Amino acid sequence: MEPILEIESLKKYYGKSKNQTRALDGITFQVMPGEFLGIMGSSGSGKTTLLNCIATVVWPDAGSIAMNGRQIQKLEGAALAEYRGKEIGYLFQNFELLDNLTGYENIMLPLSLHGVPEQEGKRRLEQLAAYLEVKDVLHKFPAQMSGGQKQRIAAARSLILKPAVILADEPTGALDSKNARTLMEKLLGLNREEQATILMVTHDCNAASYCRRVLFIQDGVIFHELRRNIPDETGQEFYARILQVMAQLGGGSANVL
Amino acid sequence: MFFKLVSRNSKRNRKENGLFFGALMVSVIVFYIVLSLSHQDVMVFLARMESDAVERLMGIIPVFYGLTLFLLFFLIYYASRFQLERRRHEFGVYLMFGMRRIKLFAMLLAEDLRNSLISLAIGLPVAVLLSELISLITARLVGIGMIGHRFSFSPQAALWTAIGFLSIKFIAFLILSGRISSQTIGALMAWPPAGVKRQMPPVVYAVSMVIGIAGLAAAYVLAVYGDAWYDIRQMGITLALGTAGTWLLFFGMRFVIGLAVRSGKHDRRLHVFHFRQIQETVIQRSGTLAVCSLLMLAALCCFGAGVAISRFYGESEPHVLDYTFDGSINGDTPGQIRQKLTAQQLDVEFLELFEMRVGHIRTAEDIDHAFAMEPLMEALRQRKPSRERDVLLNNLSYATYPYVISQSGYNRLLAAADLPALTLGEKEAAVYMDREFADAKRSEILNDILKTGPKASLDGTEITLTGSVQTTKLVTDRSITLSFALILADEVFDYYTQGDYDVYLNGILAKRESGNGGLMAAISEMNRKLDEAGVPYESYLQNMGRQLFYMVASSYITMYLAIIFLMIANTVIGVQFLMNQQQTGRRYLTLIRLGATHDVLCGSSRRQINWYFGLPIAAAVCSSIFGVYALLTGILSSRSRGSLPEMMIVSFVMILVLCVIEYFYIAAVKRASDRYLLTLMVPEREE
Repeated sequence: MEPILEIESLKKYYGKSKNQTRALDGITFQVMPGEFLGIMGSSGSGKTTLLNCIATVVWPDAGSIAMNGRQIQKLEGAALAEYRGKEIGYLFQNFELLDNLTGYENIMLPLSLHGVPEQEGKRRLEQLAAYLEVKDVLHKFPAQMSGGQKQRIAAARSLILKPAVILADEPTGALDSKNARTLMEKLLGLNREEQATILMVTHDCNAASYCRRVLFIQDGVIFHELRRNIPDETGQEFYARILQVMAQLGGGSANVL
Repeated sequence: MFFKLVSRNSKRNRKENGLFFGALMVSVIVFYIVLSLSHQDVMVFLARMESDAVERLMGIIPVFYGLTLFLLFFLIYYASRFQLERRRHEFGVYLMFGMRRIKLFAMLLAEDLRNSLISLAIGLPVAVLLSELISLITARLVGIGMIGHRFSFSPQAALWTAIGFLSIKFIAFLILSGRISSQTIGALMAWPPAGVKRQMPPVVYAVSMVIGIAGLAAAYVLAVYGDAWYDIRQMGITLALGTAGTWLLFFGMRFVIGLAVRSGKHDRRLHVFHFRQIQETVIQRSGTLAVCSLLMLAALCCFGAGVAISRFYGESEPHVLDYTFDGSINGDTPGQIRQKLTAQQLDVEFLELFEMRVGHIRTAEDIDHAFAMEPLMEALRQRKPSRERDVLLNNLSYATYPYVISQSGYNRLLAAADLPALTLGEKEAAVYMDREFADAKRSEILNDILKTGPKASLDGTEITLTGSVQTTKLVTDRSITLSFALILADEVFDYYTQGDYDVYLNGILAKRESGNGGLMAAISEMNRKLDEAGVPYESYLQNMGRQLFYMVASSYITMYLAIIFLMIANTVIGVQFLMNQQQTGRRYLTLIRLGATHDVLCGSSRRQINWYFGLPIAAAVCSSIFGVYALLTGILSSRSRGSLPEMMIVSFVMILVLCVIEYFYIAAVKRASDRYLLTLMVPEREE
């Protein structure tokens, strides 16, 4: 099977030579279709920069990113907008719903942005709303929704155009544990049933335990990788292994496994 | 460090809020121009001719100055509040790091003062130059260019401009900084909740809109049918209906925008988003939008009416006579005046000097029945009912003791005006009416009747009214007008006046077009000589001066107010939009993450700007059509009513010109918005 996303020697440096921060310092990995990949690391480890590079929000200094075999650094204008809107779906930590639009309008926003007729997205919206249990709040404004509902509306928005990869940036960061669990279960369900490819950056070991594979980043490089043994390993066991790596991560390179 | 921070912050404020900074400079310019009005060539010239009227106008200037200060205070307060609110978080950080409140206050004051001084430093020289330019252009336009232009700088105007401008800025600053500095650090650092305003059921907005439209319609009807001018109460009701109607219309507008959001054009790019944005601003600022719309309406009305009125005063009657010497002032006979002129060798300067004799019917004992023209009145009554017919019937019913004019004098006047002479028999008379009482339409009606040669009775003798209505001015003084007079053959005139009449000596200059300044220079020169000779006179220049005064005064005042109103309305709308855009900047960031390009965002924001400006402009333009009509019918005298349709066209043209100005304003806001959106395209690190 061909990988859907290939990251090759990706580098991104901030600042000039003396005070340079190496956010990404030659990262290489691949994402397979239908994979649920977690990226973990401490603050400033470069995980958000990595996600931003894939989302073309920032441009890397070196290396390459290929989506379905296409180099995304070469994209320009309409092709770039098309990539942002249709090939990737972005799920933000703070939901980033437009507070003056209803839930329905927020979900339909990518269609409107990319000139897709509304009719085409209606069935998909109904399916997603039913699955994510947000039918009741479709015609409410974000201010009238709970945090969990907002994030599920945001998830529906990121999925409406059936993107190749969903990039989730700390999706549970602003949720309580119950809502976080619900969201992760829904994402996992989408991954299993729709073979949605998800790339999730998180601090939360609990959320990461839903992934099939977790990459640990430190100082801009991949520091470790964990794979869940499916079906033998339970979520709890995987969680314990993640916790262990995170504890070692806190101790620096002296504790490399 | 402190001054560096002040310098940087004030520079940032100017950059981020260029529109407001521009408005500050325009206010400086406007202040100076109105305060230095007395130094303008036209005013210097008029002060010599019409010193009383000019003084009265200058007396009103401080009132306008005060009014402008008052209006601009609100603009400055409003825009500064936005600017300070936006920096709340920054102030919280300063205090958090231990900056004392007094120092924060000093810093903000220094920033404010710096920007004010920069506005003054740029605005004042521009104002002086612009004022000179206006002075030169108006002088040339009204034909007094030769009087000699001298560069004039009014230190007093500059001083008052600076004082007024700095005072309102300072007062606004004191109030605002007081509000900011009384808040806790926590309150300052917390981002204000974006929360959706509590909404009422849609039916409330729909009803409000319907009532608003009804109120406006009622105000239009009252204004157009002239009822508004009936008395102060009616005017108050009209204005209240119009204002309340506009306010309710804007309050209810969210209903229509709500419908637009749900309309079937969802497939248009970001259709829902941009209508939701407009809806939000309309919901949050319907009151401000209504006020801005009313200000625009006031500006349009001022502009339209001002131009129409000044055009009316600028429309001069055919110019025939240059001088009239009225012997009765000094008790001189025309012969004595001629002698005085000859003594000073001034008579040679006149191409013509002729006498105009005007008197009363002295043979009649019963002055209430000295003259009657029943056949003419009857013919008038038989005509199709019209406003003009009724006015004529009313005016002519008082013509029972008319003035009489001698034919020879009047014929010389006609000859000077290149018009055919009158030939009158012993039993004939021609009708003379001043243009103010017999405009084109009324003359046409009377001429129709005069063709039939209606009979009339002059002190018991039957005469025939003949020829057409004569309207050429008898003397140069425009304030002398005759509503109805009879031109009689000289012998007949002598008989009826019994030798008791007034004589005016009219003069036409020989060298009208010679010299640098043409007629104006020739008359100015002659005035000087006549003043030296001690001959009392009335010259064309004085009358033109009077006319010019009304023209200049009305156009200056209306233009001034129009500019102020327009500037306030546009700046408030523009600043409000841009600030709102920055407050909701996160939404644009989300759109960028979802794949919106700069072009898509600019397209959406440009559409929002069109709507945001378009709504108040459309309401104002619609109301102004009725407003200008009402103003013109209310202000203009009966004489000029005839040309109302023509003036309405002039006003429409002015409204169009103003729409063009709006276009440029909108373009400026769009540019600022595009620039802001471009800054969002560069990602910032967020953790």
